[in-house]
This record gives sequence, C-alpha cells and structure tokens, in this order.
Amino acid sequence: MPGDSNKSEGQGPASSPLPHSMNLSKRLLQPSRYVPVSAATFFLVGSTTLFFCFTCPWLSERFSVAVPIYNGIIFLFVLANFCMATFMDPGIFPRAAEDEDKDDDFRAPLYKTVEIRGIQVRMKWCSTCRFYRPPRCSHCSVCDNCVEDFDHHCPWVNNCIGRRNYRYFFLFLLSLTAHIMAVFGFGLLFILYHHQYIDRLHAIVTLAVMCVSGLFFIPVAGLTGFHIVLVGRGRTTNEQVTGKFRGGVNPFTNGCWKNVAHVLCSSQAPRYLARKRYVQSVCVQPPFLRPQLSEAQQTAKILDNGLRGDLHRSKSSLDMQESQSCDAEPPPPKWELRYPGITRGNYNMLNKTPPTPTMYKYRPTFSPGKNHTPLTHAYANQVMHQPGFRSQPSLDRGDTSSDRAGRVAGGERKESGEGGGIPGYSLHSYTSFSDPVVLSGVASQSSGSMQTSACAAQISETTTTSSSFKSLANQTPPPTHPAHNGSLSYDSLMAGDDGFDKAVSAGSKIPEISSGRPCSPAAGGYMSSSHPSKQRDAEMHSEFPKHHHLLLHRSASSTCSSPPERETLLVESQRSNRPSPFCQTSVPPASSAQHPPHHQHHHHSHHHHHNHHHSHNHRHHHSSSTSHPSRFIAPYLPHRPYPHRACSTDTPLGLTSSSTHHPSHSPHHPPLGKSLSYSSAAAAEMQYQLIRKASSAAGENAAGVAGGIQAPKSTRWNCSDGPARLFFSSTASTSSVSHCAILSNGPLRAGVQKLTGGEDTTYEIYV
Amino acid sequence: MRPFKLWQQAAIAAKVFIQRDYTNGTVCQFQTKFPSELETRIDKQQFEETVRMLNNLYAEAEKLGSHSYIEGCLACLTAYTVFLCMETHYEKVLKKIAKYVQEQNDKVYAPRGLLLTDPIERGLRVIEVTIFEERSLTR
Repeated sequence: MPGDSNKSEGQGPASSPLPHSMNLSKRLLQPSRYVPVSAATFFLVGSTTLFFCFTCPWLSERFSVAVPIYNGIIFLFVLANFCMATFMDPGIFPRAAEDEDKDDDFRAPLYKTVEIRGIQVRMKWCSTCRFYRPPRCSHCSVCDNCVEDFDHHCPWVNNCIGRRNYRYFFLFLLSLTAHIMAVFGFGLLFILYHHQYIDRLHAIVTLAVMCVSGLFFIPVAGLTGFHIVLVGRGRTTNEQVTGKFRGGVNPFTNGCWKNVAHVLCSSQAPRYLARKRYVQSVCVQPPFLRPQLSEAQQTAKILDNGLRGDLHRSKSSLDMQESQSCDAEPPPPKWELRYPGITRGNYNMLNKTPPTPTMYKYRPTFSPGKNHTPLTHAYANQVMHQPGFRSQPSLDRGDTSSDRAGRVAGGERKESGEGGGIPGYSLHSYTSFSDPVVLSGVASQSSGSMQTSACAAQISETTTTSSSFKSLANQTPPPTHPAHNGSLSYDSLMAGDDGFDKAVSAGSKIPEISSGRPCSPAAGGYMSSSHPSKQRDAEMHSEFPKHHHLLLHRSASSTCSSPPERETLLVESQRSNRPSPFCQTSVPPASSAQHPPHHQHHHHSHHHHHNHHHSHNHRHHHSSSTSHPSRFIAPYLPHRPYPHRACSTDTPLGLTSSSTHHPSHSPHHPPLGKSLSYSSAAAAEMQYQLIRKASSAAGENAAGVAGGIQAPKSTRWNCSDGPARLFFSSTASTSSVSHCAILSNGPLRAGVQKLTGGEDTTYEIYV
Repeated sequence: MRPFKLWQQAAIAAKVFIQRDYTNGTVCQFQTKFPSELETRIDKQQFEETVRMLNNLYAEAEKLGSHSYIEGCLACLTAYTVFLCMETHYEKVLKKIAKYVQEQNDKVYAPRGLLLTDPIERGLRVIEVTIFEERSLTR
C-alpha cells in the first residue's frame, strides 16, 4: 500500500538503533499480536468475496449493474483505508538524542505544565523516549513508541492510531459501516427473492454472509458512532477514555466544523522516522561574529539576561570566569568546581555567586526559561551580594557608578533606564536613604526610567517569566523539596555572605530585583512555585500596563496575588503620576483565594529571611534614614496569614523579609523594612488587618504617596513608631491605627487622602 | 547522527533547545523567546526573526485550505495511490523549511558559530541550536 509502511515495528530504520531492533525482533515473534488483524482481514475479504461471487451476479441481473459497482467501490474504499490505517506510521516520535536531555532523570521533574489556551496541560516525561511528551502524545506500550496525537492502539489493524493515520482509521470505520450495511441489505434482498430456494448454495452462502455482517455490524457501528462524536468534539479516544476533559474544557477543540475539517481535510502530516536526510554542508569556523555591545545592551533581557549581558561583556567565551567587579572582590570559584555535576549547558549562565541549590531541582532543559532559572538565582545572589558588603564600601561605589548600575539597572533597562537605574542603585548601596531629596529625585527618575524600560522589557519579560516558571511550577519536588522554598535562604547561607544578601538572594528568585523589572509574575510565581496558578498569575501580570510592571516586582514576596500587585501598582503610579483607577480595576481581585495555599510557602520562605534581614537592617539603618513604608506594604501583604510574624518586634518577618526581597529594587526599600521591624506587635497586627480589609492597592497607594511626596518628612517613617506608620504619619500609633482601621473599611475608592493631624500629616489610604 | 559536514575547526560548546510553544494548541510553533546562552552570540532580533519565519512556514504547512482539501479528495478517489507519485503539501513546505534553515545557517548562524538543526529531525519538538566554541590558535 502506498504511504509509510509500519505494521509491527513502530519505527523506521532511521531512529535510534539498538533498543528498537531488539524490540523489533521480540515483536515479530509474538504471533498473538497478529490474530485480531488476521481475523479481521479474513472476515472482511472473505465475506465480501463470497458476496460478490454468490449474491451480486443475480442482483446485477435482476436490478442493475450499479449494485456491484457501488459495492465494489465501497469495498475498495474500505480496503484502502484499512491498509493505510494498518501500515502507516501513526506519528511516532523518534527517540530524543542524548544531548537533548542533559540532566539526569532523577533530577528532572516528572511533569511539566504548559498552558494551552488558558488551560493547564501536563506533559509527562517519557523515560523511554527521553523527552517530555507533547500534549496529546502518549506512549504506546504495545508498540513501545510515543505517538503524536495518540488515539488508541487498535488490535484489528495491529497499529497505533495517531495523528497521521487517524483520518484513515476514521474513514475505514465509516466505509466499513457502509459496506456492512450494503452487504447485509443486498443479501437480505437476495434472500427475500429466493426464500423458496433457501436450500440452494447461493442462498446458504448469502445467509452466512448476512450473519457475519450482521454480527460485526453492531460493534462496528457503535465504534463508528463513538468516533463521530470524538471527531466532533475534537478529542482522542485516549482523552475520552481517561476522562481528561470530563466536565472541563478541551483546549484542543476548534469547534465542531473545524474539528471535522482538521480530521478530514488537513494535509498529510509528515513522518518523523525514516526521513531522507539532506546533508548540510556548513562551514563553521572561528573567528565568529559577535553581536556588538550596543546591540547586546539594547536587546531586552529577560529577568536575568539583562544583568548577565553586561557581565558577559567582559567575557570572551561562554564561560563566566571573572566577576565584573574583580577588583573589588575575589572571583568566586569556577562553576564546575563548585557544582561539578552541572553540565556545560547551564554553565555559562552561572555567575560569580553560586547557584542556589533549588536550581537543581528544576529541570533546566526543555524550556527556554529553564536556563534562566539558575541564572536568576545566580544573579540574584550576586546582585544582592554587592550591597551587603558594607565592609567593602569601595565595592559599592565602584560597582554602583558603573558596573552595578549598568549591570543591574542598565542591563535590565536597556533602552532607557540606565540613567534612572544608576542613581537608584547607588542610593541603595549607600546610606543616603536619609536624604529625602535624593530619594525623591531617584523616585521620579526611576519611575520614568522604569516606565520606559518596562515597556521595552515587558514583552520578553512576560514570556520569559512565564516560561521560566513553567519549568519551576510543575516540578515534582523531590523529598527534600519542602526545604526548597525556604532553601533560597539556604543559598544565601551557602554564599556565606551577610544575612541580608542571603535573604535577599533567597527571597528574590527573580533576578532583576534591582531594576524593578516586571518580575513580579516571576516573583509571585516563585512564591507559589508549586502551584500552577502561579503561571496564571504570571500571565495575568504580564497583561498589566507597562509602567506597572516594574511595580509588580515589589510584590515579589507576595504569593502571586493580585492585591500585592495592586499595591505596587498604586505605589508606583502615585509616584510617577497619578494612578489611574483602571490599574486597580484591571487587577482581578480573586487572588485572595490563592493566598491560603501560598502563604504557607511564602511563610516558609520568609521565615528564613527575617533573621538575615534583621542583621542587614542593623547595618543599613544608621539613623532614622528615610524609609518608605509604602513600598513595603506590597510585600507585606502576602504575609497576611501570619500577622504575628510581621508584628514581632524581633522578627519582623513579613515586613523585613519582604523588603529583603527587593533591596535593590529601589533605594527606599531597606530603610523601610528596617523601620518596620521596630513596630509594635499590636500596631503591626492592626496594620496587617487593615491591609487585608482594604484593597492592597489602596494601601500601596497611600504608602507610595507618603513615600514619594513625603520625602522631606520621610525621616519620621523610620522611627520606631510602629507599623501604623505605613498608613499614616508617625503620630501616635494607636490613634492613627484606629483611625486607619476605620478608614480602611471605607468605600472602595482608590486613593490617598491627606489628613492633617497631630504633628504629622496623616494619610488615609482607602480603596 | 547529524549528517552535516563541518569543516571542523570548532568544537561544540553547548546546545540550546528551543521548545515548542503550545499556547495555541498542537499547532507547530516554536517559542520565540531568546535563550540566554545565545545572548553573546547573536542578535535577539535576528534570532526571533528566524523563529518567527519558521513558525509562519509551519503554519502554512498545516493550514486547512483548498490546497489540502483538494489533495485529500484526490487521494480518496485514487485509493491513496496518488501518494506514490505526488508530494503532499506538508512535505513541500518542509522542503521549503529545510532550504530556509540551510540558508539561515549559511548566512547568519555559521558565521556566528551557531548551527540550527531542522526541527523535523527532532520530531518537530525542538529547534536545536548548536553553539560552537570559539577556539582560535592564538589562545
């Protein structure tokens, strides 16, 4: 029969050699596999032949010659489709090459989730074929192959039914039903006209043929009807039988008509095995062209990329050999020496700082984002690493002015934000937080730069973050995994840096912390890394207005919740220009449901952070440096379920840890976190509740206003007045807190209202 | 196993795999996200342009148009014997894709020490980008 011949083997000679050949011989020696197909062939051909020989001659004479012609055509159709269904390659995937699967099996997660038209679909790792099965692909145990769009393994044709031969199988069923009906009908007609000659041979044979066809008609018609429904619904037998979309939405359907058209009218899908290989003659010879530096800067770097791009400039090869600030600090040990198990594929992504151990848990391959994940960690560590070196002020200075800013801010905000990023970062490094003028200047600068850079970085960012989190989200955590969420802090411990850096690096899985890139989806995703909802959040976040993207990173510590987003949105919008209410309304308020499952994770991660952050705060907070409590509202929010943690004076978990997550996001963050650490428990609790009740955006709004506008008075925010300061001025905490409580329960109007009272100006945050 | 002849003056440093983009279902599309390993080797725009072009070509191959409909009818009428003589629409586009990949390799990727592998050789699951080491005699 024309087409691909693939009866029992299941793959052609061009696929990987040994296992297949062995299976081939085994399969050939299995006679039981051929019984059904032999029986089917026998009955089909035999009955039809008898029909043509004994019944049709009389019918053609008695009625018309069209009868045998019609039957002949239908039978030919049946045979053609039967042969195509039997011998055609159903769409077998060749085994993946060894280098495609760089990681060991044990380290790879079993499932990878992919979002198809808004629906999460799981891709399972096929240990035989060595790749993650594409959606709708399944491994046939009979044929020992992964088949694309796997429908079922049909014993009657002794072949898998997949993408390539489903049409022929379906047409075979249709035509066979028609054929059986025709044979039965014409045989009945013959018998009706020969009832008095029933003992003659022709009649007996016709009766036998009628019995066979009548017997087979019921299952064949049932199967045909079943597949007609499947085709109309756009499902495979495998999906129907396993109940994948029972009560749910099928992401693979395009509507009944298009589904039918796809089955019947689409072009014949290509064979993957046994293809003619065209030898490509390519000359690959160094020296190689390299993209120019300016181009590298201009390319929108995803999360980590931007930072690494600058780092790469100093490198001539893929190896990350020296840190950019090699003058300031000794370069970390080479990647291989630290992690000999890591293959080269991931090597070039790693930076001076050691990658976090959690990186290994994630399967770096099979996702473009995968490679970014370790880099994210590495860079996060690195970035956070720098400011923490209080003992090396030269580091900050040297880095800040050129490398740091360029790396952190410039790298990420390629097109525009370099100017804004540098001063912002330098502020962060230094203790110039207490200079409100500088801060406000930075705020406006950074906001402007953030907007532009966010625009540029947004598109690639979102896809990257979402994709990188795909690799993160659906990994089956190994038994040691529960530590991972908190293990980010362990990474910092490994780094051996100060607590702040550790906490920061641990918390900020999103690499571009400093430049406020739209990493909040990543951040949110990270927080609930085990939840696929994170991906949805990431996607959700990616749709936000560009200039809000930068804000989102602040809520990185939040568990992919929109309220933190709203907070951050409002903060930034307040800062740059008046926020439009749409940014709140555009945020779906439904993230609260996601918090309960996430907070545990989040809590866990923060739990490790506060200790580090605490030490860091001691370092950062010289005097009552200006802090911007508003900025910490957003990160604070995710800690809602654990108000006590946030409230505790010695372990300001939510506030401080959240601030640690984004120390470099803005120069304002660290002082704020530090100030919050001194808040009283009650005030913090009240504040926490206020945050819960009011929309987080409102709170962020007020905070942002307070932070941005109140720069000259920002010193007051740092005082040990308590968390109530987040919402109000630093007057008596209790009164303001109570006032705050009332206000927060007010109408849901976004905005911040300035209320004068006491010695300070009080801001009412309402949603 | 990869049957391209290299005048081997470069060793393979790493391989990057561009995965499929399943956001629109099982339509053959590849992710246009720029992998980090290629940052220092090629422009982002250039790379994305290549992937986008490939995606367009695959979309053209899988398009349900009159072309594929007529081909299906013809195949039915001739009991699929037409497949012996005629090339299917998909195969024609695959040839176009192979030519495009070859051309991209020659013009863009090989000078930068990269090599694209036709995804059909990987079962249309990944685009394999081989990164070559920049080893020169002076080093």
